[in-house]
Amino acid sequence: MEPFLRFDNVTKNYPNGVHALQGINLTVSEGEFISVIGPSGSGKSTLLRAINALIPISGGTVWLDGENVSRQHGRDLRALRRKVGMIFQNYNLVYSLSVLQNVLHGRLGYMPGMKGILGLYSEEDKRRALELLEELGLQDFAYNRASDLSGGQKQRVGIARAIMQQPKLLLCDEPIASLDPSSAKTIMDLLRTMTAKRNIACLVNLHQLDVAMQYSTRIIGLSKGQVVFDGPPAELTPDVIERIYGTARENLMMGGKANDRTDSADCA
Amino acid sequence: MSPQLSSCLETGEPAMVSSAKAAAIPRDSRGRIPVRCRQRNPFIPVFLTGTALLAMLSLWYLGIDWGKMLSRVPDIGIVFWNLAHLDFSNMDLIFSSLVETISIAVLSLLYSLLLGIVFGMLAARNVFRLPVLSVLTQSFFTFLRAVPTPVWVLLMLVCLGMGPEAGVAGLCVHTTAFFTKSFAQSFESIPDETVESLEVTGASRLSIFCNAILPAAFSQIVAWAGMRLETNFSECAILGMVGAGGIGYVISNSLQGYDYGTAGVAILLVFAVAYTIERIFVRIKRQFNT
Amino acid sequence: MTGRIPLIARDLKRLYTGFIIAAVVLFVVCTLLTGFNPGVLAANSGAFWEFITQDFLPPALPKASRIPGVLESVVVTLALALSSTTVAAILAFFVSLFGSEKVSPFPRAAKFVRGFATFLRNIPALVWAFILFSSLGIGTGVSFVALCITSFAFLVRAFVETMEDVSQDCVESLLTVGASFPQRVSQAILPSCLSGFLSWFLYSVEVNIRASTIVGMVGGGGVGLTLFSYIKSFQYDVALSIILLIAVMVIAVDQITNKLRKELLK
Repeated sequence: MEPFLRFDNVTKNYPNGVHALQGINLTVSEGEFISVIGPSGSGKSTLLRAINALIPISGGTVWLDGENVSRQHGRDLRALRRKVGMIFQNYNLVYSLSVLQNVLHGRLGYMPGMKGILGLYSEEDKRRALELLEELGLQDFAYNRASDLSGGQKQRVGIARAIMQQPKLLLCDEPIASLDPSSAKTIMDLLRTMTAKRNIACLVNLHQLDVAMQYSTRIIGLSKGQVVFDGPPAELTPDVIERIYGTARENLMMGGKANDRTDSADCA
Repeated sequence: MSPQLSSCLETGEPAMVSSAKAAAIPRDSRGRIPVRCRQRNPFIPVFLTGTALLAMLSLWYLGIDWGKMLSRVPDIGIVFWNLAHLDFSNMDLIFSSLVETISIAVLSLLYSLLLGIVFGMLAARNVFRLPVLSVLTQSFFTFLRAVPTPVWVLLMLVCLGMGPEAGVAGLCVHTTAFFTKSFAQSFESIPDETVESLEVTGASRLSIFCNAILPAAFSQIVAWAGMRLETNFSECAILGMVGAGGIGYVISNSLQGYDYGTAGVAILLVFAVAYTIERIFVRIKRQFNT
Repeated sequence: MTGRIPLIARDLKRLYTGFIIAAVVLFVVCTLLTGFNPGVLAANSGAFWEFITQDFLPPALPKASRIPGVLESVVVTLALALSSTTVAAILAFFVSLFGSEKVSPFPRAAKFVRGFATFLRNIPALVWAFILFSSLGIGTGVSFVALCITSFAFLVRAFVETMEDVSQDCVESLLTVGASFPQRVSQAILPSCLSGFLSWFLYSVEVNIRASTIVGMVGGGGVGLTLFSYIKSFQYDVALSIILLIAVMVIAVDQITNKLRKELLK
């Protein structure tokens, strides 16, 4: 079966001379839960943003659902972006609008013309949005301003907005980096269950190695814009970690040993 | 969450919602689900419609003859075309008046800086702790600030005759009023503990001001001064147009005498100086912040 | 000033010393260049005082027959300021959408849009008025256009900065859901920046009240022209009441806009 996403020798050079991606090759199939790990500046964020063309790539090809992403423009690009949900470190909500309106933003890609501009969503969409909020435990906040929510709640709205797109792939850019440990765990659990239930592939940028080990079916290690590891968490041996981060695993942990996985995942 | 519901989320088919759930979903009077915030600021739409109506009313009241204006639009093109034919033959005059304008702007800024510190001291509530004095000073300068600078310059011209004195004095009125208000604010933002700690040593109010309040507010004073230089230059540039000297006089005079080339050079120079001041100030501000 | 409390960091202290030295140098240079002599002010203080007490005070009302005309000119000034700012704000909103690399659908053109606005902004409103007077003739229509130009340019810059501060993130998130440019504007930029935009709009109204008085003085009509004609005909006591009237108008508008701003940001 053709994979949903395929990177074909993708490179990205910034005008300031930084080579963020250097010949990346990888594939993502349906239902996978992949963590992308690596030190800051290794190109994690660029990798994610290359998929939905938020950042134009300099060379190679990104194949998404059988189409070349950099060839798409205007309406076609928007139709392609619809298939890919994205969750951000800073939630990126419109804080002056209601929680429900923010969730419904996920439908904008499907709404042509004035209806989308005026925000006239269909009853069907609204009911689905409310149900989704209920599934995420936010039903009481549907008519609050998004700015009134806590960090974890804002990220749940972000998830709801992405799921409303009915995506086939979910990109999560440091989804838990601004959250406290317990909200971080809630968000990771939700991401796993909600994507598994809908058979959505999920690509998560993570700082926290232990969270990556605990949740993912596959881990991609990036270092200086190159893939240095691609495999199941079990194969992530200490020397592989050292190759990715340039330092031993013990130095990456804030207290706790490398082998008590569950504990350190909770406090990540 | 029932399995039935979750399956409908995936397929997007209409949900078989139980009656209890249906009752929980809010509806508006027309049976639709509302999406907007429960708490909105009802004032914003009122403000927007009010402003739009008032603006249309104003336009109607002004009764501008748009047809006549539009018919002369090609003339604007001709004027700009003429302005673009720069004429450098009067450079000495342009240059000397530009220097004069800049000097007057800077001088009035410096004099106002000193005056502003003195009056700001009187206007701030925490320096002499005389509320009557503060209120009196502040309301007097509020009045001075409310009247545009060219008015003061015109009056100074009447008193002092042509010359840099009228320009400096006229600009000083507005600039001093501006500084008095801003400096008083800066002085008042000094924490009371700082002042009190000196009060218990028995220092006089004036020495407290000079030794504690003024140094602490100095960075803000510099910032205000930088900000004001921009305004002072552009105000000084227009003074010539209401009858004082400087670059504004050159511009208005050569425009009225159809000497567009000279006017074009003068306008470009005004732009260049204003732009330079803006860039320098932006850079300094960035340095302050980082 | 010895024994100052060390409230200032060392590097800032160097900056202040630099500032004071620069101020003194500039003072000397400028005084020499203009030949400005504060003594002239002191020497003229007698004439000054005489002018204030004899010609200026007490304020006198204009002739009863002209009072309606004076009040009408105040309304003209207010109408000019409000209408020109509103028109400028609407135009500036649409143009500013193209003035930010992060928001505009044509990021390459953003720099040119901002450069154009900078050019318009750095030439004073009165200079624009004079340029337009020489092509369109004098009148309120020209003041309207001149005021529009400067407040448009100012608002473009203010709006672009507000947008980059506030709505950059949510524009990115709406890009990922596949929203079109008009959708991004109406669903992300407008709701998140509206109160910021309105606050700048009110500030611009305050500025334009003063500017429309000034433009009026050189032939744009309104209360500025009324004042100018009284000064030109040496009726300084009447001029003083007009000045008071202008002050009342400006202070009243400032009070109203402050109140409105508080309501809008609630």
